[in-house]
Amino acid sequence: MDSVDETSKLGTRLMPYAAILRHDLAGLWASRLVRLWLAGTALLTFFLVAGNWTQFQDAPLIASVLFPYLVFPWFFVVVALGVSPVSGSTAEALADGILSRPVSRWEYLLAAWSARVAVVLAVYLVVVVPAILVVTLADRPVREDSVRVYGVISVLFVVGLVLTFLVSLGFLVGTVLRKPLLAVVVLIFVWYPIGLILSMFSLEEFSPVSLSRAVAGQLRRPWRQSAEEAKAAANMEDMQQFSEQLGSFFSRLSGGAARPKASRDAFFETKEFEDFSLFRVTLGYGLPTLVAVILAMLSFYWRDL
Amino acid sequence: MAEFCGKVHESKMEPAIRTERLTKIYGQRLIAVNDMNLEVPQGCVFGLLGPNGAGKTTTLRLLLGLQRPTAGRAEVFGKVCGPNAVGVRSQIGYLPTNPRLPGNLHPIEYLDLLGRLLRLRREVRKPRISALLRAVGLLGATEQRIRTFSTGMCTRLGIAASLVGDPPLLIWDEPTAGLDPSARRFTLDLIRELGKTKTIVIATHILGDIDQICDHLGVMHEGRMIFTGSMQDMKRRLRHDAFTLELEGDNENLLRLAQEASRLEGIEARIGPGETLVVGIAEGRSRSGALAEVLKAVDACNLSLQAIHSGRNATENAYLQLLQEDEAHGFGR
Repeated sequence: MDSVDETSKLGTRLMPYAAILRHDLAGLWASRLVRLWLAGTALLTFFLVAGNWTQFQDAPLIASVLFPYLVFPWFFVVVALGVSPVSGSTAEALADGILSRPVSRWEYLLAAWSARVAVVLAVYLVVVVPAILVVTLADRPVREDSVRVYGVISVLFVVGLVLTFLVSLGFLVGTVLRKPLLAVVVLIFVWYPIGLILSMFSLEEFSPVSLSRAVAGQLRRPWRQSAEEAKAAANMEDMQQFSEQLGSFFSRLSGGAARPKASRDAFFETKEFEDFSLFRVTLGYGLPTLVAVILAMLSFYWRDL
Repeated sequence: MAEFCGKVHESKMEPAIRTERLTKIYGQRLIAVNDMNLEVPQGCVFGLLGPNGAGKTTTLRLLLGLQRPTAGRAEVFGKVCGPNAVGVRSQIGYLPTNPRLPGNLHPIEYLDLLGRLLRLRREVRKPRISALLRAVGLLGATEQRIRTFSTGMCTRLGIAASLVGDPPLLIWDEPTAGLDPSARRFTLDLIRELGKTKTIVIATHILGDIDQICDHLGVMHEGRMIFTGSMQDMKRRLRHDAFTLELEGDNENLLRLAQEASRLEGIEARIGPGETLVVGIAEGRSRSGALAEVLKAVDACNLSLQAIHSGRNATENAYLQLLQEDEAHGFGR
């Protein structure tokens, strides 16, 4: 009985969050941008699969399907979707309509962010998962490949994480700059040379291009092998490496000298991107995502509507 | 202040709204609200009056926590207002000027969304929505999308939206703006009806509305509250400008007329804007007798009378007088 009461209390408490989430999801689904994006991504995926049907093995073909999400051109759409809810005239309308009601700004922002992440991931998965199934299950006139379920799931997760990060980045910049167009322009200028920016901080392995190149290898990686690796204290090494990267990043950011590191060309020539660590990438994109959401919330909390 | 309202509230009851030295400065440049102290007693229909740009809307947005005060504080039923003051906003039904509503929704969907934001359970929400739609006369428009609504219908829906949570305090910003006469009449009647059970704050610059529905008044000018009190208090401040005479003739003659009329017993005359003479008549003096004597003086000064206006709108005159006084005080303000 108590647990029913607790559930009911929790339901009542979450009611505004759920209402805004539902409202935003409906609004996003009805928007031309999302529908065009869905059509565009479906069409592009179809052409990529059909065009390379007889040429690529499973892993490179799947990697080519995921390339537009990581590098070009879908980050435009994802970023634009993230920017819109808290900037420009939308902010004024939502102030009158939603934030003048007993809804906290955290609730609103979290619901709006969740709705955008959900829509972006839904569009991505709705198109990509069937494409991967077709590619892996179909009998194609190419040499057999060893794509693993674990590999597919981890790659889907990584691309989803990058997309979530992009939405959150759009959210943050849109909240801080307030003008949607300006926010999109700033984000384009930041995201285009992201590989260069990351190489300045010796973080090349997190760049979209290197992720994209690492995808094919990761797709072939079996679960057991990675479990064994984990047992062999790979996570500790990853953690150590990640903390070194983080230290290097902040040292560079604060004007300190960077540790000697291979040049960006060297990184790709030596195929360092093949040393892909799911753990490091999860931290590398997960932490900035969290930071972006928290900063967006703080910025939104302090501003006038 | 509570004595003004003449409603069921005691003088020691917590005021519905209290501000202490409330100040809002935008970007270190524009002072929108300046050191405002205000108390609105529970049960009042309070008119917040002021010209455009006086700071009325900013004050309301500070109360709702949509904006942060630069200094001072605002309280609603004893709770401090702020961005995350959910408890404060649950006590307020807000109607913005020309409410911007989600055009893609139907009215029931919109009110249902607001009901959820107010954490109302289904069994409370649904009957209330249909009762509100009936009350604001939108029951016949439930199948239309909001984007097809006229201004009047949007205001009615905005009014229903402000009432979904059945809040004890209503804050309506220019509720009659852009309405046709019948929609305006409907809104004013509704305010009168709701005023029997709720505290209502109406921000407007339409004096006729204030005159009809408010029992208490605050006048804002350039971000400052220059008057608060009852409607009777406001009208009591007024000099008794009984008539305005529109005249034609030389300015010298007009000046002479003003001097001669002022010499008459119980009459105060001054030159108004254009070629007009504003005639004030003292308490107890016969209006018709006074007017007859002034008209004789008009003839004697070789002026031609074009029209006579009776200074009937006491609230308007009192309001304009307040603004003039405030501007005339200069550094004394």
